Amino acid sequence: MLSMWKTWKELKSRGIMGINQRNGDYILKYNKRKYYPVVDDKIITKMRAIEEGIHVPELYGIIETEHDISKLDSILAGRTDFVIKPAQGAGGDGIIVIADKFDEKRFKTVSGRMISHSEIEYQISSILTGLYSLGGMRDRALIEYRVTPDSIFNSISYEGVPDIRIIVLLGYPVMAMLRLPTRQSSGKANLHQGAIGVGVDLASGITLKGTWLNEKIDKHPDTNNFVSGVQLPDWDNFMRLATRCYELSGLGYIGVDMVLDKDQGPLILELNARPGLNIQIANDTGLAMRNKIVEAHIADLKKKQRVEAPEERMRFSQEHFAVNFNK
Amino acid sequence: MRALTLHLKILIAILVGIGLFSIAYQVFVLKIPVQEDERGNYWTIDAKIDFYVRGSKPVRVQFFVPSEQNGYLRYIKSTDSLLAKDYGSSIEEDAHGNQLLTLSSRRESGLQTLYYRLALTQRDSLSTPKQIKGKTWRESIPLTEQQQVATKTLIDNIRQKSLDTATFITAAIKAVNDVKNDNVSLLLNNDKTIDNKVNVLELLLSQAHIPIQRVHTVRLIRGTNQKPELWIRSYIAPTVVKSNSDKNTNKTTTATNNPGTWVYFNPETGKTGLPDDRIIWWVGDDELLSVDNGNQAKVTFSIDNSELAAKGIISQMAGQKDASSFITYSLYSLPIQVQETYNVMIMIPIGVLVILVLRNIIGLQTLGTFTPVLIALAFRETGLGFGICLFTIIVTLGLSVRSYLEHLKLQMLPRLSVVLTFVVVLIAAISLFSHKLGLEQGLSVTLFPMVILTMTIERLSITWEERGGTNAFKVGIGTLCAASLAYLVMKIPALVYFVFTFPGILLILVGFMLAMGRYRGYRLTELRRFKALLKEG
Repeated sequence: MLSMWKTWKELKSRGIMGINQRNGDYILKYNKRKYYPVVDDKIITKMRAIEEGIHVPELYGIIETEHDISKLDSILAGRTDFVIKPAQGAGGDGIIVIADKFDEKRFKTVSGRMISHSEIEYQISSILTGLYSLGGMRDRALIEYRVTPDSIFNSISYEGVPDIRIIVLLGYPVMAMLRLPTRQSSGKANLHQGAIGVGVDLASGITLKGTWLNEKIDKHPDTNNFVSGVQLPDWDNFMRLATRCYELSGLGYIGVDMVLDKDQGPLILELNARPGLNIQIANDTGLAMRNKIVEAHIADLKKKQRVEAPEERMRFSQEHFAVNFNK
Repeated sequence: MRALTLHLKILIAILVGIGLFSIAYQVFVLKIPVQEDERGNYWTIDAKIDFYVRGSKPVRVQFFVPSEQNGYLRYIKSTDSLLAKDYGSSIEEDAHGNQLLTLSSRRESGLQTLYYRLALTQRDSLSTPKQIKGKTWRESIPLTEQQQVATKTLIDNIRQKSLDTATFITAAIKAVNDVKNDNVSLLLNNDKTIDNKVNVLELLLSQAHIPIQRVHTVRLIRGTNQKPELWIRSYIAPTVVKSNSDKNTNKTTTATNNPGTWVYFNPETGKTGLPDDRIIWWVGDDELLSVDNGNQAKVTFSIDNSELAAKGIISQMAGQKDASSFITYSLYSLPIQVQETYNVMIMIPIGVLVILVLRNIIGLQTLGTFTPVLIALAFRETGLGFGICLFTIIVTLGLSVRSYLEHLKLQMLPRLSVVLTFVVVLIAAISLFSHKLGLEQGLSVTLFPMVILTMTIERLSITWEERGGTNAFKVGIGTLCAASLAYLVMKIPALVYFVFTFPGILLILVGFMLAMGRYRGYRLTELRRFKALLKEG
């Protein structure tokens, strides 16, 4: 009992955020329900992003009804690699990533599994009935450009596409994490399913230590390479994209999921209105602590009756949340 | 809960205030018992009077009923009633403080059966009923020569063993019960019934001028055909140490204003004090019942402690015409059958509270928010042990069917429909089998638990699809634990009684829930989850 109290105190003093605090002090306070569809539906997110001139993976087509499934052939015509995902899915469920075309009726997934045309149709039908959507509502399936991960990740990732999540509070990036798929997560970048989360320094884009299933780790369990100390390329562009997602979504507290494409650079994948808390373990620091700094800064600006532009906000975060590597 | 705003604080204060006030009003003004414990101490005593009238004659029945004055001591009369058709009744008090009920009828014939019903409750009231004073001196009963010799020896013996009136009486009782003693045998004259022993005792004590009274008590124990038990009592002034020895002259009898007390003795053991489970029906040498023009008159007592105790009292209060308007609006004024339903329903917020605490403070993962409460309600019908088994079996089988159907590549809706249909069939089969095996519990699965089980399987299989088997298993176990806990809490009889009787508690609960709405602290499971952060400094 006493040690629990001590843990409590210690976590509090380090500004670690709990679920209750996240829900109450941030999501409930800054995320208006009417803006949720923007992040909950990947198609709307994509449309909005395109309007704002923010880079997203190219959309090949949308399937809305069972009848539409017959359009699949025309959408896939001439394509050998693509991704099919539910518009309202969460946590990477229901996504098929096709890497190659085998013959007329068969494709190959990233992991090399053979998948027939009818299996793809079945998957789309499952998506449409709402199997993967939040709350089981009818859903839409989208078919989009398959991201080819930058070669920088080859040594520290297992299959799948690593993604980068940046938590953005009122337009100020507060914390970043690189999520690396593992064999256990079966190529998915979802921490609940066993992917690794690696903290990223907001100022430089250099990776910090990692977390795997609530534990701290240094090495990738599959490749045995160090996950820390890697310089992510084009980091400022990641920061820029994340910062602008505040204007895009209208939500005050979001997790922005991005990928680094070999050819197209940073792309926005999706936004999350209820970002998880494991990012704190990966960064070895508390979200609440950083959020307080941002909130204080905004209160300060309000007094001066000033609003900062995305570029200024990004600079603020990079200045205040830089990790001192010489420590 | 630091983030409570003034608005919320006021709201909570108002709710808790109203809740506390209504409870306090009910407890202190309406005197509604706080605990249901009084269930065991709510007694109904039926005295059945039978007698036979030859021919057609006017009848007069006189019958003692317990009086406030002689006291039920630890009990309070809740109600009494008389079932005596065609009889007029009157009550008078005799010199001993007894209530004498007189029933009379101008013309009766044949077998007569009259009932007197008394309902008693135990109350923790400090004030003892007013008692009449008794005599502290009496004339000696004249003795025969033979008796004189015997009593003299006995009394000398008793004197030696005693120091005051109370101990004198005790010693006398012990002496009378010592049947091997020749002197006692002589006095008893071979009649060793308790009545005769008391007669001899009275004779002995009268030689020492100690008055005693016969006390006829009824024992509060479930049963029928009880005979009133005979005790004796003596009025003893408190400060007087009545020395019956001439040598103790320095301690004289001083008359005080202090009232004396009645001390009760068991005429067989000499023990003093009336046990808690006795009530005095009447006092004195008179017969309990006297009937003019009746034959074969007898009284039989049947005693029961009612199941409805505290609730019974409240229902009665609610039923009375002059009841306070507050109580007439209590749930007790509803028909009994409806009350049963509300008994269950009003506990739902308590169950929800349990889930709230488990989820938001402890951090247990459950399937949805209120599913565990619904499962807990289903457990009410099946019982906990059987309920958990049933839940586990059906959910496991339901999910295995689901995973089999996955291979058939069916669409979600038809697939779930198949699962649900299968569950219904499964439950029906279980009911049938357990019935054949003689386990009546299998039949307890009515529509309600069935609907809840199918719902649970649907939600669990969706969780399985979305989050994987491990997660579904974790959530399933969490749900089962939460449901069991909620069930156990919702079943605590004292709590059920309290919430049902004092619905104001629900407002206090709402106050707590509102405060919880601003709870920003860690969940206990998070302490473990984030422990990695605290390692290596």
